Amino acid sequence: MSEKVFVLGGEQTDFQRNWTKEGKTFMSMMREVLDDALEKVGISYDEIKRLNKENRVAVFVGNFDAEQYANQGHLGAFLTEVNPALYGVPGARYEAACASGSVALDAAITHIRAEDYDLAIVLGVEVMKTVSSSVGGDFLGTAAYYDKEAKGVQFPFPKLFGKLADVILERYELKEERFMDALAEISRINYANAKRNPKAQTRTWFMNKEHAMARGGDNNMAVGGRLCITDCSQVTDGAAVTILASKDYTKEYAKKTGRKVDDIPRVKGWGHRVAPITFEAKKQESVGDKYILPWTRQTVKDAYKRADLDVKNIDVFETHDCFTSSEYAAISAFGISEPGKEHIAIEEGTIDFGGKKPINPSGGLIGVGHPVGASGVRMMLDLYKQVTNTAGDYQVKGAKNGLMLNIGGSATTNFVFILGK
Amino acid sequence: MREIKTVTILGANGAMGSGSAGVIAAFGGAKVHMLARDVEKAKQGIEAAVASVKTDTIRARMIPGSYDADLEKAVAESDWVFELVAESYEVKEPINTRIAKARRPGTIVSTVSSGLSIGRLAKAYDEDGQKHYYGTHFFNPPYKMILCELVTHSGNDKKVTQALGEYLDKVLGRAVVYTNDTPAFAGNRIGFQLMNEVAHFAEKYADKGGIALLDEIMSGYTGRAMGPLATADFVGLDVHKAIVDNIYDNTKDEAHETFKLPGYFQKLIDAGKLGMKSGGGLTKVVKHADGKREKFVYNIKTGEYDPYPKFDIPFIKEARQKIKDSDYKGAMEVVKKASGVEADIARYFISRYISYSLSLVGEVVDTKENTDGAMGFGFNWVPASAFVDFLGGPKETIKLMEQSKIPVPKLLKDAKEGKKFYELGDKLDARSLFKG
Repeated sequence: MSEKVFVLGGEQTDFQRNWTKEGKTFMSMMREVLDDALEKVGISYDEIKRLNKENRVAVFVGNFDAEQYANQGHLGAFLTEVNPALYGVPGARYEAACASGSVALDAAITHIRAEDYDLAIVLGVEVMKTVSSSVGGDFLGTAAYYDKEAKGVQFPFPKLFGKLADVILERYELKEERFMDALAEISRINYANAKRNPKAQTRTWFMNKEHAMARGGDNNMAVGGRLCITDCSQVTDGAAVTILASKDYTKEYAKKTGRKVDDIPRVKGWGHRVAPITFEAKKQESVGDKYILPWTRQTVKDAYKRADLDVKNIDVFETHDCFTSSEYAAISAFGISEPGKEHIAIEEGTIDFGGKKPINPSGGLIGVGHPVGASGVRMMLDLYKQVTNTAGDYQVKGAKNGLMLNIGGSATTNFVFILGK
Repeated sequence: MREIKTVTILGANGAMGSGSAGVIAAFGGAKVHMLARDVEKAKQGIEAAVASVKTDTIRARMIPGSYDADLEKAVAESDWVFELVAESYEVKEPINTRIAKARRPGTIVSTVSSGLSIGRLAKAYDEDGQKHYYGTHFFNPPYKMILCELVTHSGNDKKVTQALGEYLDKVLGRAVVYTNDTPAFAGNRIGFQLMNEVAHFAEKYADKGGIALLDEIMSGYTGRAMGPLATADFVGLDVHKAIVDNIYDNTKDEAHETFKLPGYFQKLIDAGKLGMKSGGGLTKVVKHADGKREKFVYNIKTGEYDPYPKFDIPFIKEARQKIKDSDYKGAMEVVKKASGVEADIARYFISRYISYSLSLVGEVVDTKENTDGAMGFGFNWVPASAFVDFLGGPKETIKLMEQSKIPVPKLLKDAKEGKKFYELGDKLDARSLFKG
């Protein structure tokens, strides 16, 4: 596995941008991010033309809901609008709610492993500022079981992840104050990390622990049970590209760009599991299990097994902190702590930027922003930056292996990838 | 890095005072003495500060007070005194005298002035005070507009400047631009040059559409969210006058004549028509009985307000579509090749803006990144250097300047072809400032 799929790099848009206000669309976003990514990686459109003649290149577009946000489907075909060099290149759109980027990555990885293509362009994209937050909240409800969990509910996802917080608190018999403090610390870390990331949505926003702890009131409203605004990631417009390659192509590429194949990271492991779609079914199924999200844990274990690695080998994590409660649960799923003892890892600074197992040095979804279909691709790009020592101000020192967890729905579709050299 | 635990804000109830105080109390975690003419006004300032940064956590460390009762005590215990009172020597100088008497050695004192001489204001202080006196020109509203022009004068100490710059950048999250003590500093000197010269052109082309036409020509496809004359109307014609008069009186550069206030601006000011804040100026919006709003524009020839016209200028339409599609170089190609008086005007002002921005390097700022930062972060205008890249590089830009009879700055003459001219790309994506 680890000798099959390499990552050559990529680029993301500035997640602070509001493309609707700029008078631009998902299409202009795709154009900019792909142009930027190819320039950064050092692959020209002529090179794509050359590979396409031999049917060695394909594109994979991760997108959740362009139909509703942009009144447009069939996004896989839209790269042909970016540049005529992409005429004829196989391309399709992949959807798995907030894990849409990962399902696109998964398809790309699979095709390269199967030796169908040598180069795979994976582009995650979501334009979300086209509608108000309440309308957008309703659109996002379709990532849950809409009829049962979202219909007529204002902001359904904060409520679902608020329920996750409730279950964690009850199941592990935690002290509420200590647990909420741990969630506030997760929020503080993500915002603080995002300040170092020049593409993060919240890099100029005010947030500190004191504010994260001050839940309730107009300035930090409750939106889902115990969870308040500071516990939530916020939607934004954004796109990200990562470019994957076969070993043969990576050798060619390394020679051409003066790099060593050994310095180019490879996908070492992956995991993909789907949990019952409703949160209630998840809760019932997990009664008696050590993990509240056993399928998330299983996905991580699958990835470790395939990579022949364990938590001790992972230097940096990018996790799906759509809410503080989801990052909390991920800590034990990664094996950083025992389930029920995540708060101790947080209190001890283990997951902080300078800690032993830093999570989301980029700022995560809470800090970088969450354009849903782009998030998985953005996470992979951040792992690439970390393990190639190119993350700039948010570089984790000496990172060799990184793991990402991207989830769709209420931890329903789980994807994990491990990247390293 | 300099530790700033206690701050005194003078002018705490104004929009800039409360907004800046909010940033300092929130990002800086500082205790802030909020001083105004009376305690009630100071309390209003505290509420405005809380609302501006949207966090109740700062309320407890903001202490209301009045100039009469609390200034000396507050200043004596402050690490930084930030003065944001009215923009005149007559108001600022007596306050500086009081601050100078009360401040401890080492305390930083700064003013938000957008145009007064920092060196002159510093004279109220002893040697240590002068060393620690700065212009910290925040932009409005401070939480959203992150630019801070850090204005130095000859009496400053480089180490203190560096420490203050780091604090403003790393702790308060400001995009810090270092400028010399010159009239209006960097942002306003460049911004108001363009706005005022556009205003003159509106008069020249009053028969063809005047104010509305010029704002159409200088709209989003030229790299700004709001037209220059709409911006003048937004900031207020009185403020506009104060800034351009100051520059006109105190500078003598190639664009000197363009800083003369147009006669119709003065006419509007005399009639109390100052812009949006007074219900009308260059434009006005009328709400009809049925609730519908209609926009009108001042007719420079007749002195009446006409319904705001719509224009159909083919090259602008084409350029806008290119911007909408994120084809920025394509849009600039359209502008370069278009014919007609409107296209001539567009090329003239694009050239003027780039030329004037770059010409100030060496006098107002030390590097072009500072003027680029001032325009990008302070005005949300595409920085001059980024424009050079979108136009196809230095040679192409020089060609455009020569066609428009605009002086070519040395910085551009010396620039290497084929290398990116804009160097702030990692901090500010200039593409985001074009509007389609």
